[in-house]
Amino acid sequence: MGKPKANVDKKICLACGGCISVCPQDAISWIGNKAEVNPEKCISCAICIKTCPIGAIGVEVY
Amino acid sequence: MKYDVVIVGSGPAGSVTARFAAEGGAKVLVIERRAEVGVPVFCGEGISRKIDEWKIIEGKRWIAGRMDGARIYSPDKTCVTLRAEQAGNETGYVIYRDIFDQELARSAIKAGATFMMNTQAIGLIKQGDKIIGVRAKRFDGELEIEASIVVGADGVESKIGQWAGINTHLDSKDLETCAQYTLTNIDVKDAYCDFYLGKEIAPGGYIWVFPKGKNVANVGIGILASLSEAGRAKKLLDEFITKDPRMKNGSPIRFLAGAVPVANPVETVRDNLLLIGDAARHVDPITGGGLTHCLEGGKIAGEVIAKAIKARDFSQGFLSEYETRWKEAFGQKIKRNYLVKELMLDMDDKTFNKLAYELKDVKFEEISTHGLVKEVAKHLPISTKLNALIKYRKEIKEIKKK
Repeated sequence: MGKPKANVDKKICLACGGCISVCPQDAISWIGNKAEVNPEKCISCAICIKTCPIGAIGVEVY
Repeated sequence: MKYDVVIVGSGPAGSVTARFAAEGGAKVLVIERRAEVGVPVFCGEGISRKIDEWKIIEGKRWIAGRMDGARIYSPDKTCVTLRAEQAGNETGYVIYRDIFDQELARSAIKAGATFMMNTQAIGLIKQGDKIIGVRAKRFDGELEIEASIVVGADGVESKIGQWAGINTHLDSKDLETCAQYTLTNIDVKDAYCDFYLGKEIAPGGYIWVFPKGKNVANVGIGILASLSEAGRAKKLLDEFITKDPRMKNGSPIRFLAGAVPVANPVETVRDNLLLIGDAARHVDPITGGGLTHCLEGGKIAGEVIAKAIKARDFSQGFLSEYETRWKEAFGQKIKRNYLVKELMLDMDDKTFNKLAYELKDVKFEEISTHGLVKEVAKHLPISTKLNALIKYRKEIKEIKKK
């Protein structure tokens, strides 16, 4: 069983940048003007998931 | 590619900095990762009428409507009214942020700055420890932009600061997570901006209704990220709109998400580097407003950059004039209001209701957060005052010292 990591649904993301600013691991960046989580850096703290105002961030098991 | 200054971000902070640096003779490039200046909008679109005095923006096209005042509703809907006529009509405007940003960009270009769209900063170029430019991605290619000064005007999600070794990470208790509809066909008659407070309504923040002309308004919410759950901001906003009879027949013509730093400002100067705007956390932690700081700070930054280019001195020491001056202009205010924000978080809905009840007939002479905070302070229960004094003794002392 892999580890659950944050994952941005790019169809929903409105690119406000909130998740990028609160990520303690600097694991989220702009890719094509949408937020994208680097699963290698993600520590599954879920701060970005809670922060997203529109619920665009979920969990992906790698 | 070689410039005196490369500015990352074409928001108000970036454009105003670009304009004043270019007017002072600097060769300026602004890069923007999006395809259009000011689009999409990430803003409640309210601004203080202080903007008239500064004469930084021309024309009137960016004005959607004037604000005649503000109404602040406590959790039990007790209303505190701030009227324009009590304050010599000094309130503000609701604006079109896209046009506003584009006007500022136009002024910068007129002054000689170059703008490059679809260009995303992906790193700093360094020679040893020295910052000598920005690496950027443009469509499928990469390019290197050399510059004597790099300006991080890259918003709440700023990376420039981090790359330069400045800790710009935001704690979730220092971020407002936001959502906003522009609703049409609603029953909004006057030009008052409404604010709704309460732990149930908008934990650690507020809901706003900013009229944008007849029967149109920005209806938005900001809640503290530390009190948020996935999608909670939008959910609470939807609940509010469903319950508000004025919005029964409303329909959205725009929906946006947002993130606003409500933090203490970070360090803003390094050798060859400045931070400004949301990237520098130049936002009023009570209101979440930052536009006026971008204009004021941008002018200061541009002027200091022009001086540095003339003196060929890009050291932290030389550039620190920028930090000294923005601290004088609004730094103390942000620090003070950060404390007030912390204090407000400790207050329960009952205290808010009581305060609103005591303030509901007050004639405010000054329509500003400062004026309001002064009045609130007079009416705070003595126990709240004492708690605040004990909890924040050190911080209060620090602010008083300056």
